[in-house]
Amino acid sequence: MTTSTATVTLADLTRMLRESAGEEEGIDLDGDVIDTPFIELGYDSLALLQVIGEIQREFGISIPDDAVVDAETPGALLALINSGRTPAA
Amino acid sequence: MSLTSHSAVVRRLIVSPGPAPQEQTPVVASATAVSAVLRAFGRSPEELPARTVVLIGSAVVGPGLRAEHEGFAVMTAATPGIALRRAHHELHEGTADLALVAGFGEPDAHTITVYAVKRAAEAVADGDAVLGVLDVTSPAGTPPLRPVPQTPRGTDPDRHRLILWSGRTTDDEVRVRGELLPMLSGLHREAYPALPTAVPCGTPPGPVRAAAVAVSALAARTVHQARAVDVSRSRPVVLLFPGQGSQHAGMAAGLYRREPVFTAAVDAALAHMGEEGSRVRADWLNPQSAAIGIDDVRRAQPLLFAIDYALGRMILSWGVRPTAFLGHSAGELVAATFAGVVSLRDAVAMVQARVREAVKIPAGGMLAVAASEERLRPYLTDGVGIAAVNANQQVMLAGSDRPLGEVADRLRADGLTVVTVPATSPFHSPAMAPASDAIETDYRDIPLREPKLPLYSGYTGTLMSPEAARSPRFWADQITDTVHFRNALDELLAADDVLLVEAGPRQTLTAFARRHRSVRLGAGAVCPLLPARPGTQEADRQSVLNAAARLWTEGHDLDLNAVARLWTWSDDDASAAAGTRTPPIPAKALVA
Repeated sequence: MTTSTATVTLADLTRMLRESAGEEEGIDLDGDVIDTPFIELGYDSLALLQVIGEIQREFGISIPDDAVVDAETPGALLALINSGRTPAA
Repeated sequence: MSLTSHSAVVRRLIVSPGPAPQEQTPVVASATAVSAVLRAFGRSPEELPARTVVLIGSAVVGPGLRAEHEGFAVMTAATPGIALRRAHHELHEGTADLALVAGFGEPDAHTITVYAVKRAAEAVADGDAVLGVLDVTSPAGTPPLRPVPQTPRGTDPDRHRLILWSGRTTDDEVRVRGELLPMLSGLHREAYPALPTAVPCGTPPGPVRAAAVAVSALAARTVHQARAVDVSRSRPVVLLFPGQGSQHAGMAAGLYRREPVFTAAVDAALAHMGEEGSRVRADWLNPQSAAIGIDDVRRAQPLLFAIDYALGRMILSWGVRPTAFLGHSAGELVAATFAGVVSLRDAVAMVQARVREAVKIPAGGMLAVAASEERLRPYLTDGVGIAAVNANQQVMLAGSDRPLGEVADRLRADGLTVVTVPATSPFHSPAMAPASDAIETDYRDIPLREPKLPLYSGYTGTLMSPEAARSPRFWADQITDTVHFRNALDELLAADDVLLVEAGPRQTLTAFARRHRSVRLGAGAVCPLLPARPGTQEADRQSVLNAAARLWTEGHDLDLNAVARLWTWSDDDASAAAGTRTPPIPAKALVA
């Protein structure tokens, strides 16, 4: 269950995806990636778990462990993170 | 009907050594004749498999004939028929991978008929032109050739298939697509599988290409929406073979008995495991009632080997000629098989030796950690080592259960992301050293050759040298040493811009490659064969079709008949039909 009202945006997610990959070049996340499966972006389950860990720490929220299995795309992950809480607006 | 109990004649020709046929002098089996047999099919003896045997079927054997000639075993039999039966026996005992049988006095007194005989499943997997299988159950005499057991074609109209088309120019592609669309929209679904694989028919494919993978109901829409590509630049193909960790229950099962080369190749690999091979297959195809789970080293390693190998064979059967190979961990042995370092039979023996010794090592496992090697070094303890460096932030650790568990706890406490790799043995850790020593003894008996094609090694992180390839110790150390996959991939992608194709379950190596600079910048590319996650059997086939489409739009010309078997071939009724039909030999099989 989430414990914060902060909403994680696609910009937040792409920034953290980039940081977690530790890539000096930056992964190409500028295009329309919201519905692109993580695996096609080069994120396997380990890389995704790491990003989810970063999000939990930075936003002080708790994300269910199943997220890595259930959310195949950035869009699906954001929907899962931001669901079950009062809309920010 | 399984091919694995049969021997196939893949070449046959009649040699007439005498100067003038009218002399009618019977030819005598001599050392010179054996030299001629070794060269009968135009290849130099060095290109023959290491385990090639020459079988002389002749009533008269010259005095100079020895049991070994030019490094190959030579055996003699009183008649050509006995020699062919002996060849079948040697192939299925595993003592030979290729038998060259010389029938002296066949068909005439002064001629020799030379047969190249292989195990039938391997002949199909290798893409050989099979003239027929030997009917060794026939009464005495030269065993007749029977057609390869053919199975009914299963043209299920609701299966996915591939539609390929091309044009000489962009406009031409639009025109071809325009002619294709009405055919699809007005089509009866039963006729869908029988449509040509590629249009226009009968002309070489043009450089503007497109492809669609669809079931009949969605075919027109999918073709309409497909994006055409101008293939001015066609990158060579490199095959990647994954290792332990990529296995899952029922992996690639959607291709078994649905694609003939994959099926023959899996069967060929498992046949070399004897009774255990049958148990491995049963557990693979019936995961719910499996006696041993897929993550156990006794299942993961043999099956990953068989499936990686069979997927590679299938790609080759499409006419694709990979220019290099790279395997991860156990996948390196598959890569070595394709590069000509070891025969299939010997590679399987090497896998089996690994498994036999790995189970004697105290239980352990592997962890994947999202961190660099440098970051992880301080956490290593006695018995826990760096198992693999896969990508920038993807390192695997391995060790025995208890010390590995303690390291995992410390890593998690420090906020690192740790995932347990499904494995029961501490591969690539110091704990495996006794197993390496034990298997080296086995490996010393195996003929190892230098790679015929570029083979990249995860152990040296670069091209495998001829010395390393031929060293039993190098292969034995693999289960203990660190895998430097990232370095090997770096070297490979620095050498050339290539299309990497992952020939294995899941997309583990594909994900590593997508994080590589070359692939991110679009210089290189990567294409998986199978889905990232376990799915339906149709999803396996759909994924393979997508890979074939990718190869086509990359500019590779595919053997269209071979690719079409993905939606027209089925072996479901084979067991019911086996033994009930003995069709006559078609005329084609009699043409030598």
